[in-house]
Amino acid sequence: MDITFEHVTHIYGQKTPFEKLALDDVSLHIPSGSFTSVIGHTGSGKSTLVQHINGLLKPSKGKITAGDVVIRANEKKQSLKKLREKVGFVFQYPEHQLFEESIIKDVCFGPMNFGVSDSEATKRAEESLNLVGIPASYWHRSPFDLSGGQMRRVAIAGVLAARPQAIILDEPTAGLDPKGRQEMLDLFAELHKRLSMTVIMVTHNMSDAAIYSDQVIVMNDGKPLMIGPPEHVFLQTEQLRRVGLESPETMLFLDKVMAKARKKERIPAFTIDQTADVVIQILNGVKNHV
Amino acid sequence: MFNLVIGQYVPSDSYVHRLDPRSKLIGVFLFVVIVFLADNWLTNGLMVLFCFTGILLSRMRFSFIYKGLRSVFIIVFITFLLNLFLASGGDTLFQWGWLRVTSGGLMQSIFISIRILVIIVVTTLLTLTTSPIEITDGMESLLNPLKKVRLPVHEFALMMSISLRFIPTLLEETEKIIKAQAARGSDFTTGSLKSRIKALVPLLVPLFVGAFKRAEDLAMAMEARGYHGDAGRTKLHQLNWSWRDTMLLTAILLLTVLLILTRN
Repeated sequence: MDITFEHVTHIYGQKTPFEKLALDDVSLHIPSGSFTSVIGHTGSGKSTLVQHINGLLKPSKGKITAGDVVIRANEKKQSLKKLREKVGFVFQYPEHQLFEESIIKDVCFGPMNFGVSDSEATKRAEESLNLVGIPASYWHRSPFDLSGGQMRRVAIAGVLAARPQAIILDEPTAGLDPKGRQEMLDLFAELHKRLSMTVIMVTHNMSDAAIYSDQVIVMNDGKPLMIGPPEHVFLQTEQLRRVGLESPETMLFLDKVMAKARKKERIPAFTIDQTADVVIQILNGVKNHV
Repeated sequence: MFNLVIGQYVPSDSYVHRLDPRSKLIGVFLFVVIVFLADNWLTNGLMVLFCFTGILLSRMRFSFIYKGLRSVFIIVFITFLLNLFLASGGDTLFQWGWLRVTSGGLMQSIFISIRILVIIVVTTLLTLTTSPIEITDGMESLLNPLKKVRLPVHEFALMMSISLRFIPTLLEETEKIIKAQAARGSDFTTGSLKSRIKALVPLLVPLFVGAFKRAEDLAMAMEARGYHGDAGRTKLHQLNWSWRDTMLLTAILLLTVLLILTRN
């Protein structure tokens, strides 16, 4: 689903001593079926931005269009439930939202809320649990007996069970071990590819943003500083550094290699494989020159 | 979402903020007691005047305090109505069936409403201008004599400061879980009473789980840093009684004398 922000401003605690401008006249577009990463340092407005997409926050000014639902400022009655069914939201530490006595019941919670019948909800829950890789032997156990990583998978299954067209991930890999992180990211990449889901991921990890996304939004001070493909955004090392961000490590590494090889050009490479290829290119180039 | 002004602390650098928490605590306590001395227009006016002076000196915006009091107005209004119809005395102003409004009843209900509002404003002012840590430090210091009779004053103060400290955290957590469940289609604000109560389960269970986990972590962290209770413990913030604090208490004593002289 296409998501469009038009001049969206959000002010927290309006008319109190704690007033804070969190989004400042934001206009941007997230194309249907894209994988978009939102990066920025703490307090730059990333989370506020994405919470507008499924109506958890309403804009103080401006308008948001998500699919065929429009959210405007100062509008009380809105088709928020319909929107929330279409846009799933995986919060930071989603395992904190588990509450049911069994895993399967917890995963059913979402679809049941959206008015799906018992049997259909169970069917979807089983599907989602298979998707995130929780074996069937676990389904009737309590979610509180699981390990942290498994709890997170169950929570994510709970969001997927509503069959959203778009999914928002707020730092989905925070606090996971390297293996868990990789599996989690692979899962989202697969959802994106196989189910052509629109994925919006808030992350602090530049490499993840670079490798997985086709569009990167850099937030700073409540405004998008840069919007573009990672190959473009992560070449602007200076500008990123000014807002407290770094390029992915592979880029930093290549910069060092380039400097030592006395070369000026910069080639975007984000995975280990790409980086190795570029290094070989540089080495061959140097050899050819000599 | 949580539009509660009562219990919130707004940092600033006004006269009231700089007062010693002990003088504020004693002051508020005395004030709440002497409110009951007020029984006519003049004495009630004095109480209101005292409140306004307090708000002015704290440099809080009136609109901010008014907004926070709106939720209390319902309670005040119910009390007003109850007194209006139940209290008697003076001439009958209005009668409809067994409902009777008398001039004495009207006066009394107005005074009681003022009394409730004034008490709430003053206690709100205390928490608005005094951080929870200052309040518990002040409490502990005021209750210190009770240590002589083996009351665990320090532990009480610690429990209080921990619970106060975690109120914002819990609110934040609550808001987060409400959002997470709302994103899964849960609805806390519409539907029948039964469905609303049922909607609380997905909120309360994670909240309790989180609170227990947090308590365990905190206990561990305190032990790791060698916390051993009261004995020989020094304070980071020393309380400091200044002439302003003496002024405040003098003002309240003067007010008490005035009230006694002018009440019926």
